[in-house]
Amino acid sequence: MRMNRAFGLTGLALGCLGALAPVAIADLPTRPEEIEYQPLEFDPPQRSDYRHELSSGVPVYMAPSSEFPLITVTFSFKGGAYLDPPNQTGLANMTGAMIRRGGTETVSADELDEQFDFLAANVSTRAGAITSTASINALKSNFDEAFALFMDMVRHPGFEPDKVELFRKEIIESMKQRNDDAQSILNMEWEMLMYGEDHFEGRQPTIETINNITIADMHAFHAMVFQPGNLIIGVTGDFDSQRMLDQLENALSGWERRSAMADPPAPTNVLEPGVYHVEKDIPQGKVYIGQRGVMRDDPDQFSLQVMNDILGGGGFTSRLVGRVRSDEGLAYSVGSRMAMPPYYPGEFRALFQSKNRTVALATKIILEEIEEIRNELVTEQELQTSKNSFIETFPRRFESRQAIVNTFIDDEWTNRPMDYWETYRANIEAVTAEDVRRAAQTHLQPEDLAILVVGKWDEIAPGDLEGRASMVEFFDGKYEELPLRDPLTLKPMKK
Amino acid sequence: MRRTLACALALWATSAVHAQQVQVEEFKLGNGMEFLLVPRADQPNVIAAGWLARVGSVNERPGITGISHFFEHMMFKGTNTIGTSDAEADRELNQQIAAIGERLRDMHLTTQYDRWRAGEIDDPWDPANDTQEMVTLRSHMRAAMESQRETIVKDEFDQVYTSEGGSGMNAFTSEDLTFYFINVPSNKFELWAWMESDRLSDSTFREFYSERDVVYEERRLRTESTPTGKFQEQFDSMFWMASPYNWPVIGWPTDLSSYTLAQAQEYFDTYYAPNNLVGVIVGDFDPAYIKPLIQEYFGRLERGPAAPSVVTLNVEPQAEMRMNAECDCQPQIEVRYHTVPFANEDSYALQVLASILNGRTGRLYKQLVEGKEIASSAFANSDERKYGGAFSFRAETKGDATPEQLEEAWYEIVEDLKHNPVSDHELQKVKNQSLADSYRRLQSNFFLLIQLALYEAQGEWEYINTQPMAIQRVSPRDIMDVANKYFTKTNRAVAIYERKADAPAEDPALLALDPQFRQMAKQSAERIASVNDVTVLQQMRADMEARAGEVPPQFVPAMNYIREKLDARIAELEAGE
Repeated sequence: MRMNRAFGLTGLALGCLGALAPVAIADLPTRPEEIEYQPLEFDPPQRSDYRHELSSGVPVYMAPSSEFPLITVTFSFKGGAYLDPPNQTGLANMTGAMIRRGGTETVSADELDEQFDFLAANVSTRAGAITSTASINALKSNFDEAFALFMDMVRHPGFEPDKVELFRKEIIESMKQRNDDAQSILNMEWEMLMYGEDHFEGRQPTIETINNITIADMHAFHAMVFQPGNLIIGVTGDFDSQRMLDQLENALSGWERRSAMADPPAPTNVLEPGVYHVEKDIPQGKVYIGQRGVMRDDPDQFSLQVMNDILGGGGFTSRLVGRVRSDEGLAYSVGSRMAMPPYYPGEFRALFQSKNRTVALATKIILEEIEEIRNELVTEQELQTSKNSFIETFPRRFESRQAIVNTFIDDEWTNRPMDYWETYRANIEAVTAEDVRRAAQTHLQPEDLAILVVGKWDEIAPGDLEGRASMVEFFDGKYEELPLRDPLTLKPMKK
Repeated sequence: MRRTLACALALWATSAVHAQQVQVEEFKLGNGMEFLLVPRADQPNVIAAGWLARVGSVNERPGITGISHFFEHMMFKGTNTIGTSDAEADRELNQQIAAIGERLRDMHLTTQYDRWRAGEIDDPWDPANDTQEMVTLRSHMRAAMESQRETIVKDEFDQVYTSEGGSGMNAFTSEDLTFYFINVPSNKFELWAWMESDRLSDSTFREFYSERDVVYEERRLRTESTPTGKFQEQFDSMFWMASPYNWPVIGWPTDLSSYTLAQAQEYFDTYYAPNNLVGVIVGDFDPAYIKPLIQEYFGRLERGPAAPSVVTLNVEPQAEMRMNAECDCQPQIEVRYHTVPFANEDSYALQVLASILNGRTGRLYKQLVEGKEIASSAFANSDERKYGGAFSFRAETKGDATPEQLEEAWYEIVEDLKHNPVSDHELQKVKNQSLADSYRRLQSNFFLLIQLALYEAQGEWEYINTQPMAIQRVSPRDIMDVANKYFTKTNRAVAIYERKADAPAEDPALLALDPQFRQMAKQSAERIASVNDVTVLQQMRADMEARAGEVPPQFVPAMNYIREKLDARIAELEAGE
């Protein structure tokens, strides 16, 4: 036991004592649990303390700090790939990238790139699945100049034709590589199985949909999404708040405000349970095992977080890593996640890679663990470790000013309850072992699982040398062979 | 760290430029362990902490390649206090398992290597080729591992940190160093000191053999099942010639299968003495508070003999090296040159040169991606290590362009760099970016921690402060000089990657078989195809008919398949006579 750690600010006192002489080993705690810590009080930041509003109603989250002479401004727009017309899949992505790469109405693309680079300003724009962003990180000393260029680009993109064609070719070149890496085959096929090809999560661009996209389409997408009716701004770094608000007010003046984008649609696809396989000649099978999940605000959200953490989300302390990796040495990376997105139901997904012959064995162990957590209560120690981890790492969510601002922007977009962070730790603390079991029983149904395997089937199917498992054990040995797709058209290729 | 506004304003001046300086407090214990302390309050409540061992794959030798990285895995397996409920029983079982491991290793290296030499087996390490005695030993090992599991407290090392709010715990191994790191809440520095000094003084390396399999899976994941992994490994090996950088950090397959507990212990004793370690701590702490804790906890480690020095440097290449690969990948090229080690005076001009080539306003993009439109991507990199360096050009083709066209175009760019000074504008742009980056890279505690560790392991941590200033001093003349000095034909290795033609389609009759028998049927068919003597095939046919009634029903389709192959091959040979 430590004796000199009980006082409040012993740190300084110890330093003054110059206690650098070696201390006998007997003085040190014999177990880490015996260490006494000073309390660490942490209250999560309040959204309202960071939130401002421009006269146009655009929200601005600001968190200044003078540690480095840099300023970062992030424009976050609601809208992304979910708005793509099906025959123009890839429109959001192309528009998002080309705003940065295509110059402005008055500055050529080459000149814009050259100026940003010379000013040492990092500028990027992109459209993701659900939100689109434009951001600039620049030195305080030349921020005004760089920011003026940035605003010109965001408001009046040039979409220079030769740069658009260049980017189109780049996209097609990267499409050609879709089948090269087993992991990319696994991801693409999984999203199609889980969300369906009619939902934006499952829909992939093809050479045809990319070629269907015109510059006029990009202008239209930009005008619809990259506009103040659809915008939240975040600012961090070395600046004066009032001056920054004035600067933003100026920068946005006269920018037409249009209506905000609707929420993304939910998938209608029903995942067909069973085993699926794509053939690929590699020494290691790559596997996803999963089923449809729930939305972020599900009443079981906290129980599910703890359940998944204990099952396979919690790294080395989780059961899947313990059994598949540590006990059996079957996989380098193994785990599970419970994605609970804000707009539509997400998914539960376990994943691993293992040498072909032990794919079946690792699959079997994962299914056993799913059964176990459905049927048996987790131990008190597992429960405490998991809950403590969520609670004790909670401050890290807000560790940098950029993290705080990003969190609040996301919260506002997705209408997260105002008291969410304030009550987060208590909600986690309240989860019981019974809650975990009930959540597992409600949301993990072994008969609803899909198992997708990419690898060399004639080595995978028979299972391990010792005969502990083979693929015949799952779904009565039935499996669906998914053909490799042509990387450009995504049409199934003939064997 | 102190911020000085004057520095930022001076950015555009041509003289007297200052980059951000990191203030580091150095602190050394009596046992030789050094500590680098960087208190900073801007990210409250968190401390990023780690320690590095001055050891990496460069310190290995044939037979134990990859052991530095494997060893990194073993450091998470617990001590006599952490990870077991019965230290004594655990030690005993560990010894038992180790003894079986030694015997198995001997059998691999004697019996199995002999059988392999004689052509009886294709891979002496494949468990499918085990002798009966080895199968028995393996089952004994499994039984002992299962008994040991009864007293193992599963991944307790991780569990203790996790339940106290530690996050991002991990480690990495490179050619030159091994680094172990984590973020802990700022009130829990003592936990870090306890846990790390415990594993440095009392590790037991349990679960050794299952972890060896995990590392082999890591090799399959990163090297063997990626589009270019195996080829890059071969290229590295060729490029580095005599240098110990010529084997992969993950290790060669044979070595990976053969380490023993005794070897791991010896490795620990040689390289993990405190005098070969450096702690790095960045974040929300008061040095006066943590120094006594460091003293108490890490002071208990015993100083060891100095770790042996690396002796072998590379030899001077006498001829260009070339590799032609066919893979499931975009056609691509790498041209790589031998250069200089870490912090060498020429390294700064090489870094500036890489920056002039990179980025969307860089020469590679302008000339290869735009311009000639033969590359879909292209970049350059200067990689300086403790005992050598390399400068690489890499590009992937676009459209119908070939890697050879990329190679030709690269040499044109090189010729220009050798004979014409870069413009002041180009150079100033790179210098501006370097200065801005000298602030950017300090923003995250964790990233700062990693940089200090890397620099300290390869040379000295002060590099974080001296490098930005050295970049500012690079002149157009320096860039021409390094281009002329290093970008020569004999000093380079070239790797050309072509897309592999589609593999022949699998026989549909084979795909129709039950997957359990497919492999066997396929191998039989291949064997049949290779036999040229009709009488042998007819004998096989006769044997098969004789036993047709004995085979289990589920095997019948596979047997029919083999029979068809036999008949076809016999007909083929008879027709040919």
